[in-house]
Amino acid sequence: MSPNAFMHPASYRDPSGFMFEKDGVLYRQVNKVFKEHYDHFIQSGCYKFLTEESRLISHQTIDENLSGDPEGYLTLKPEKIDFISYPYEWSFDMLKDAALLTLQLVKDAVSFGLILKDATPYNIQWHKGKFIFIDTLSFEKYNETEPWIAYRQFCESFLGPLLLMHYHKTSFQQLSLSYPEGIPLTIIKKLLPSKSRFSLHTYLHIHVHATISGGNKANNNRKVIFSKKKMLNLVNSLETLVNGLRFSQQESTWSAYYEEAGKRDDYIDQKKKIIAAWIEAIPSITRAADLGANEGEFSKLLSEKNIPVVAADFDSLCINNFYNQIKSASIKNIQPLIIDLSNPSPAIGVNNEEHSSFLSRCQADLVLALALIHHLAIGKNIPFEKIAAFFSRVTEHLIIEFVPKEDEKVKMLLKNKKDIYTEYNEKNFVSIFEKYFSILERKIVGKTERVLFKMKVINLPPQ
Amino acid sequence: MMIHQLLYIDPGSGSYLVQLIVAGVLGVAMFFKNIKLYIKSLFTRTPKKPKDNPPA
Repeated sequence: MSPNAFMHPASYRDPSGFMFEKDGVLYRQVNKVFKEHYDHFIQSGCYKFLTEESRLISHQTIDENLSGDPEGYLTLKPEKIDFISYPYEWSFDMLKDAALLTLQLVKDAVSFGLILKDATPYNIQWHKGKFIFIDTLSFEKYNETEPWIAYRQFCESFLGPLLLMHYHKTSFQQLSLSYPEGIPLTIIKKLLPSKSRFSLHTYLHIHVHATISGGNKANNNRKVIFSKKKMLNLVNSLETLVNGLRFSQQESTWSAYYEEAGKRDDYIDQKKKIIAAWIEAIPSITRAADLGANEGEFSKLLSEKNIPVVAADFDSLCINNFYNQIKSASIKNIQPLIIDLSNPSPAIGVNNEEHSSFLSRCQADLVLALALIHHLAIGKNIPFEKIAAFFSRVTEHLIIEFVPKEDEKVKMLLKNKKDIYTEYNEKNFVSIFEKYFSILERKIVGKTERVLFKMKVINLPPQ
Repeated sequence: MMIHQLLYIDPGSGSYLVQLIVAGVLGVAMFFKNIKLYIKSLFTRTPKKPKDNPPA
């Protein structure tokens, strides 16, 4: 490798090539050993078709071996993805759409004499308002006599978590975080209710699959002869199953928040007016984050001003509803994510480097933290000091709402809890946040007691 | 034709055998589904084509 080229920490599994960074630009190297497959992928027209259909990220071929690696056959410069997210941050319908894209790609690939050699959701990213496949080297020449090598990976990474959420009507993102390579089939089988056996497709792809994989027959290495028809039957069966899955949780604690909040006089409208005016006065915002976004009412405000937004909330139902809204309105610059701010996604994988933490990815010019402070300070007992330090690490500009103890929502949080929060008042809030931020504006929202603050981070000297 | 494949993921022990079983069961299920559809079609009238000029 040339001295200023760095291999991406997550790009080490596949011998076909790797991702590397040079002078701040991300490239993909195709290795000589993968030449035959890559050439067929391009010459068959598969790459052209998939990029035209926006199912695969496009790239430029660079006429230079930028990594300096003697194994290099080609260097590609893929189109840049603005924000990298991981499947344990996606809602049910996001994972479902990523699963359907994967199955569609298998069918597309087969029609061009290729096969998708892996089926991991980490090869899929949210880009310009839709999911797109990002691993150009996943397409390999298809041997029609062989079964699908990535079948188990698909069942463990996509089908398993989707089935668990479908049957239990609750979110299972945390389980995907614990098993980044897919939840083992034996665990999925144990967690699924018995009634799931009555679905033929679930019975075959999970129950039978888990039993045979775990049994003595698994060690039988006899050659299996497959066919293209069987392969397509298998993929169609997976597609039928995934298409029929639903996240039918009706209501969560915060899913009807705007409906209820809107009834409080003109609270939402007043808040929007103030924030819109404040945003106008902030020059060149290239990325914003709406933390505690609920169903994204204020993310849309930023999106309408052409500001790319990461909309994060811990409530999986809110994020799922918001995702479906974004999809139906074809909004291209909002990335919805399930993030618990009291426990944001950690850095995971080999050397804790493969998938980076939420904090390292969420570097924004502007953060909106609306009706959030009481959830962190009272709901989660996080001191103002820690909250202020957190925001100062992720943004330059901060628009934050202070919700006083007299507010109905805070009273609700304190209903079954002893009020140990003697420090929770606006005066303390201001004095602690002033250590990290300059407070530029303060405005009371409509006829409520809630207060909006506009702040700018103070560049503290390095400690 | 021999294809030199770069297999880097573990297909999973028994996963190939499962695919064979699953494909077999799906094939049988589809065979019966087609028979069912055929029998059903014998007892179901095909919908008439709409007339070009609807009655006034």
